[in-house]
Amino acid sequence: MKIAPHFLGIFTDIYGSNDAMNIPKALLIALVGFLTVVSILAVIALFIKLIAFIFSLIEKKKSSKPSTIITAVNDSPTPKKTAVTLPDNESQGELELVGVDEATAAILMALVSYKTEIPLNKLAFRSIKFVEEVE
Amino acid sequence: MELITSLLKGLWESSGFTLLTWQNMVMIGVAFVFLFLAIAKKFEPLLLVPIAFGILLANLPGSGIMDDLTLSQVFGGDGSLAGGGHWYDSGVLRILYAGVKSSIFPCLIFLGVGAMTDFGPLLSNPVSLLLGAAAQLGIYIAFIIAILLGFTPQEAAAISIIGGADGPTAIWLTGKLASHLLAPIALAAYSYMALIPLIQPPIMKALTTKKEREVKMTQLRKVSKTEKIVFPVIVLVLIALILPSVVPLLGMLMLGNLFRECGVVDRLSDTAQNAMNNIVVILLGVTVGATANGESFLKPQTLGIVALGLTAFIFSTVGGVLLGKILYIVTKGKINPLIGAAGVSAVPMAARVAQNEGRKYNPTNFLLMHAMGPNVAGVIGSAVAAGFLLLMFQ
Repeated sequence: MKIAPHFLGIFTDIYGSNDAMNIPKALLIALVGFLTVVSILAVIALFIKLIAFIFSLIEKKKSSKPSTIITAVNDSPTPKKTAVTLPDNESQGELELVGVDEATAAILMALVSYKTEIPLNKLAFRSIKFVEEVE
Repeated sequence: MELITSLLKGLWESSGFTLLTWQNMVMIGVAFVFLFLAIAKKFEPLLLVPIAFGILLANLPGSGIMDDLTLSQVFGGDGSLAGGGHWYDSGVLRILYAGVKSSIFPCLIFLGVGAMTDFGPLLSNPVSLLLGAAAQLGIYIAFIIAILLGFTPQEAAAISIIGGADGPTAIWLTGKLASHLLAPIALAAYSYMALIPLIQPPIMKALTTKKEREVKMTQLRKVSKTEKIVFPVIVLVLIALILPSVVPLLGMLMLGNLFRECGVVDRLSDTAQNAMNNIVVILLGVTVGATANGESFLKPQTLGIVALGLTAFIFSTVGGVLLGKILYIVTKGKINPLIGAAGVSAVPMAARVAQNEGRKYNPTNFLLMHAMGPNVAGVIGSAVAAGFLLLMFQ
C-alpha cells in the first residue's frame, strides 16, 4: 500500500524544494508531473472500462431471462423487418404527419429513441397521428 | 473655539482621508471595475461581486477589517506573552480568512461541486479522462516559465496551477505553498475563467480544420445508477493510494458526488449544492478579495502572475485540443477535437464554449454532453496536478 507514496517521496528527496531549482530540474519535474496526471487519469479510464464491462455482463445475465414485455413484443403479429444501418444524420423512409406539427413529431421521436435506447437512425417511424380524446 | 478646532483636527487626522495611500486608491478603482464587470457584463458575478467587495473593504483605510493582532496585543508592553490579546481582536475578515488558510473553504467548495457534478458523460466515454489530463499541459509550461522568470519553486507551482482553471484548487494550493500570492493568483484564476469565451475560441479555431469542427459525435451510452454510485468511492480510494496529498480536495469532491448519486441523502445533497455552497462562496470571495491590499498587491510581480496565468490557460487549451485531434485521427473521425478544450475544468463554462463553437460550423451539432466528460475530468486532473505539486514543494 505504501509503495506509490514512498516512490514519490524518494522523488521529492531528489528533486524537491530543498534543492536549488534550475531549468533541467524544472523540466524534469514538469515532465514527471504531467505524466503523473496522465497516468492516474488513464488508470481511472481503464477502471471505468472495467466497471462498464462487469455491468454489461450482469445486464446480459439479466436479459437472458426474457421479461413478459419482450415476449409480448416477440409474439406480436407485426412482421419482423431487417434493420438497415444508416449514417447518424439520416433517417429511414417517409414519415406521415396527421394533425401534428414537425416540432412535436421531433420531440415524440426523440422520446421514443431515449426510452427504447435505440438510436434515431435505427428507428423507422411511418406516421404520427393526432388522436382526438373520446369521451 | 480652540477646542472646536482641535476636535475637528483630531477628527480629520483619524479619518480615512489622511490614511489613504495611492495604492489604496488604485485598488478601490480596481474594485469598482470588477464590480462593473460582474454586474453590468455578468462576468462570473457570483464570485466577482464578493471578491470585488472584499478588495474594496480591505483598501478602506483605518477600518482594521483585515488587521492581524498587533505585537503589543499578543505580547504585552513588557514583552511578556500575556498581552491580553485574543484571536477575536483581529479584524473580522482576518478571522474569516482562517477558512482559506486552513483549506476549509476550498474543500467545502469541492463538496458542493461534487454534489453538482454529473459524472455520467465521463463514465459513458472514459476517453474524456485523457482529454482532461492533456488539458493540464499549461500548468507545467507555466511552471517552467515561472522558474525562468526567477520565481521560487513554491511560487512557480502556485502560479502555474492557474492553468488548471479551477478556482478552489488554485486557492488551496496557493494557501499551502505561497499564501502571500493568494490575491493575485485567485483574481487571475477567476478572471480568466470568466474570460474563457474570449480566450478559447481563437485557439480552437487555429488548431482545427473546418472538417474536424463539424464532426457529429454519436449518442452516449446510458450509465446505470450503480456505476454512478461505485465511481466516486472506488476512484477516491484508487487516487488516494497513488497520491495521498490530493485527498482533501478529491475526498470532498467524491463525498459530494456520492450525496448526489446514492439517492438516500437528498437533503444533504441539496444543502451541499445550494445553501452551504453559497455561504462558502460568499466567505471565500470576500476574504480572498480582502487579501488584495494595495501595498502588497501593486507590484511588478503581480503583472508577471497575470501574464503567466494567461499563458497557462492558453497552453492548457492547446493541450486539450491537440489530444482531441490525435483522438480524431485514431478513432477515424468519431471524436470532435473541440471537446478537448473543455478539459480545462471551469465547469460548465468550457463545455458551453465547445458546444457553441461546434454549432457555429454545424448547426445540428450538439456537443455539450460530450464536452462535459473532459470538463469534469479536468476537475479531477487539476486536483491531481495540485496534489503532485504540493507533494513536491511543501
